[in-house]
Amino acid sequence: MLQIKNIRKCFDDYVASDDISFNVAAGEFVTLLGPSGCGKTTLLKMIGGFHKADSGEIWINGKRIDHLRPEDRNTAMCFQSYALFPHLSVSHNICFGLVQKKVPASLQRDYLAEALSQVGLELHKDKLPSQLSGGQQQRVALARAMVMRPDVILFDEPLSNLDAKLRESVRFEIKSLQKKHNLTTVYVTHDQAEALAMSDKIIVLNSGRIEQEGSPEDIYYRPVNRFVADFIGAANIHKAKVSKMEQVNHYKVECDLGELVVESEEAPVAEYVYICWRPESAYRAQGTEENRFSIKVENLAFLGNVTDLFGRSGLMDEAENNVRIQLHKLLHTQIGASEEFVLPKNTIRFLEEVVS
Amino acid sequence: MKTVLLLIPGLGTIVFLMGSALYTIVIQSFGIDSEFGATLIYWSDALHDPILYRSIHYSLRTSILGSLGAVVLAYPIAMWLKNTIPGKTAIVGLLRAPMFVPGLVAAFLLINVISFHGILNESLLALGIIDKPMRITNDKFGWSVVILQIWKNTPFALILLSSSINSIRSDVLDASADLGASRWANFWQVVFPLTIPALQAALILIFIGALGDFAFASIAGSRNVYSLSVLMHYTATAYYEWEKAAVIGLIIMLLSAFSAVVLTLITRPFANRTKAVIPADYKG
Repeated sequence: MLQIKNIRKCFDDYVASDDISFNVAAGEFVTLLGPSGCGKTTLLKMIGGFHKADSGEIWINGKRIDHLRPEDRNTAMCFQSYALFPHLSVSHNICFGLVQKKVPASLQRDYLAEALSQVGLELHKDKLPSQLSGGQQQRVALARAMVMRPDVILFDEPLSNLDAKLRESVRFEIKSLQKKHNLTTVYVTHDQAEALAMSDKIIVLNSGRIEQEGSPEDIYYRPVNRFVADFIGAANIHKAKVSKMEQVNHYKVECDLGELVVESEEAPVAEYVYICWRPESAYRAQGTEENRFSIKVENLAFLGNVTDLFGRSGLMDEAENNVRIQLHKLLHTQIGASEEFVLPKNTIRFLEEVVS
Repeated sequence: MKTVLLLIPGLGTIVFLMGSALYTIVIQSFGIDSEFGATLIYWSDALHDPILYRSIHYSLRTSILGSLGAVVLAYPIAMWLKNTIPGKTAIVGLLRAPMFVPGLVAAFLLINVISFHGILNESLLALGIIDKPMRITNDKFGWSVVILQIWKNTPFALILLSSSINSIRSDVLDASADLGASRWANFWQVVFPLTIPALQAALILIFIGALGDFAFASIAGSRNVYSLSVLMHYTATAYYEWEKAAVIGLIIMLLSAFSAVVLTLITRPFANRTKAVIPADYKG
């Protein structure tokens, strides 16, 4: 459907896209996720035709399109600022693309009526964008893009201007419309929660390069390196010395939490590697479970649904990061107390080699 | 009361200067200060004078064409200047140069260029394009004045339109291209409506300036028809008919105000498009 092949783009010395390749299947929702300046919007704008790649190819439905102007590509973009035409009513905004395509007026009315009902803006159809709320404006932008029946719909951080509550509801609206109409979607965001909640596939970008590509579960539970582990959610990362155990897929690791057992289908890439685990993976030790470790509580925060605990093991020096644990049960302890936790062996993940 | 007093230094000066001039001209036009007392004779005289109507026609056509020409020329230049161009600052400086040339000087410069033995005629003769010099100065229609108005006012229109065009968000223009708009459609359906307030300001200010123009009309204008300001000048200084000159002055002011309203009303419908696309009886 959409194929990105070896795309490279530089702005003077800055490499915005460095040999990027990926595919988006028909009806798939793919998110480009990364911190500010990682090149995700540049990549999206190259797909939309607003930037020209220095090298590489972009194909949609078997047709090469990277040499075409934006108006000649069958893509539709939802901009971060919505980019609604301030002088046109909601209806005229939605019909703008249809007018350019010279779609007959009767068909325009049908498409418009359908789009308005899809985004629930029938009552606002003759208002100007300035008379709408942020969420409503976003829905107009979405309707304006959808009505074009594009091969690929592109979203550039569309929810970043909305407040937290509205963001959640519009997130679900976009996702359900995408599923319902089987829209092939490329979505750009720096919000990992948004990416995890909406995507079929996430592509994590950093400094113009793809760090990891996979399903939200893959990216969260099976990060390939420290950048991905740290960028998506919270992660505890330790240097570890690994040795193989007799049991299949079992490894013994020595790290600053002590000696732990790791069960992993993927073998570590070297003897000294980084390991990571999620703060919610650990739980309070009940008795003599495997993989117990002890930490001294340094900070404690009750957040309602979880208790956030920060602590340090006896092997950690002061300069090192502490350990973060999130517990779903209320923990009756206090700062300075020593607590014992268990880390299930299948929740520890091997990352890249430690290069000293 | 205190607030009103605070307004006096700014507003008071304007009201005093404008008001006293307006008061004088109104009083004069009705002959209130003359020995014969208030009368409509000067208005009646002026309004029955065919020369006045020829002057109104001449001034209106040169100022309409001059102001329209300036904005029509300024739009593509402003669109072009929106792009990143090497030497942009120098180009903008050069384009603004006519603003710093006084009207009289500009009129003499143009006369030198297009006069019977001016640069244009001599060049065309030398190139063999014409056999004898053309008489294009002080033409009856007023084209030389129109050209001067356009030359002089394009930089001003450019300043207003450029700032308006530059204030359009680039993603709005990107969205237009993304939705399939050609360059012309992008201009006509997005840029033009969004710059209507600047267009109105440019058109009205240039038009009013051109309607009351004296310098261009007196040097490069027609020898057979006077512009309103030239007519007013001669009426007052050559014929000493100050009351009739005051009537012409008031006519210029009324025409300016009326034209400003008309220009606003003509251009306003282009600014927004909110007409219902789906009729009320639409059944789907």
